[in-house]
Amino acid sequence: MKKFFSLLFIAALAILLLYVVSNMPGMGEEDVPTRQNVIPRYLENAEEETGTENVITGVILNYRGYDTMGEVTVIFTGLAAVIAIIGRERRGKNYAYTDLSEIASSVIVRIAIIFLAPLILLFSFYTILHGDVSPGGGFQGGAIIGASLIIFTTIFGLWESTSRIPQKLRFPLEGAALLSFFSVGAIGIIGGGNFLTYTLPRLTTSLQPAVRTWLTLLVEIGIGVGGAMVFISILFALLREEGGVVGY
Amino acid sequence: MMARDIIAGILCAVGTFFFILGTTGLLRLPDVFSRLHPSTKCDTLGGCSVLIGLMVHSGFSFDTLKLLLIVAFLLVSSATCGHAIGRSAFVKGIPIWKKGLEREE
Repeated sequence: MKKFFSLLFIAALAILLLYVVSNMPGMGEEDVPTRQNVIPRYLENAEEETGTENVITGVILNYRGYDTMGEVTVIFTGLAAVIAIIGRERRGKNYAYTDLSEIASSVIVRIAIIFLAPLILLFSFYTILHGDVSPGGGFQGGAIIGASLIIFTTIFGLWESTSRIPQKLRFPLEGAALLSFFSVGAIGIIGGGNFLTYTLPRLTTSLQPAVRTWLTLLVEIGIGVGGAMVFISILFALLREEGGVVGY
Repeated sequence: MMARDIIAGILCAVGTFFFILGTTGLLRLPDVFSRLHPSTKCDTLGGCSVLIGLMVHSGFSFDTLKLLLIVAFLLVSSATCGHAIGRSAFVKGIPIWKKGLEREE
């Protein structure tokens, strides 16, 4: 009986959803909303106006720069909340690599991680620096840096990871995304424009494309490094070792 | 051009066949170890066949090198993954299915 009613409910839901879908405009028709309002303008003018070949990067960092700045603030606030509630990581007192997991990782896995982790890191730098030309950018690259550190930490433990990226290094870099955004915004004001304009009216016209590219790259690197450090710090904050100490 | 497309299509079809086979095995086989066997075939045989098909399709260009790198990393990571899952399941003492035993749910 219960099965019958759930089937009835699912069927009713399916009919309703199919009815709604059938009323939607078809793919590629002339009157779909994506072909009418702001998107054609982006697609036509983005490369010229923002100086980035990748339209998505142009939209995220230039047209909707304020929105992205807010997102970066949200990520930073997330880290702040995690740190406020559970605190920084506690590293154990045995000053060497010890595998405390229930099943010790095998040699094959360790060698594979030693081989793969640097290549993943390299790929993340490519993603960040090539973000204005090809798919990618700061957020994606930062997530890939975080992923490489996560697989390294799951195999080699907190001690090895925190020896490579100590708290002293992470502490100033966690705010890199916000700082780069605000400094580029301030450069926009100093250059005679509005906050977060990449085109500076006080410069000569011949210099402007290069400056625009470099400012975009600066914001990308800031988002990448800052985002990665936030991810890594949240991951480390969740890890506790026996008899751990804070601050080293 | 035509021959290249046909070869690429055949390779992609072979890859898709292995993916279907792997998914069926993952759903139907009784225990961890026998499920691990078909599911690792998905990534290695299936994925590599599809990627080699794409390499044939793209011709000799810079994309071929990228696809070759993807194949290499896929082989390394997928094989390691299968090894890690199988080893930890074995060390943990998960019972091995024998004929006549109830199928674990």
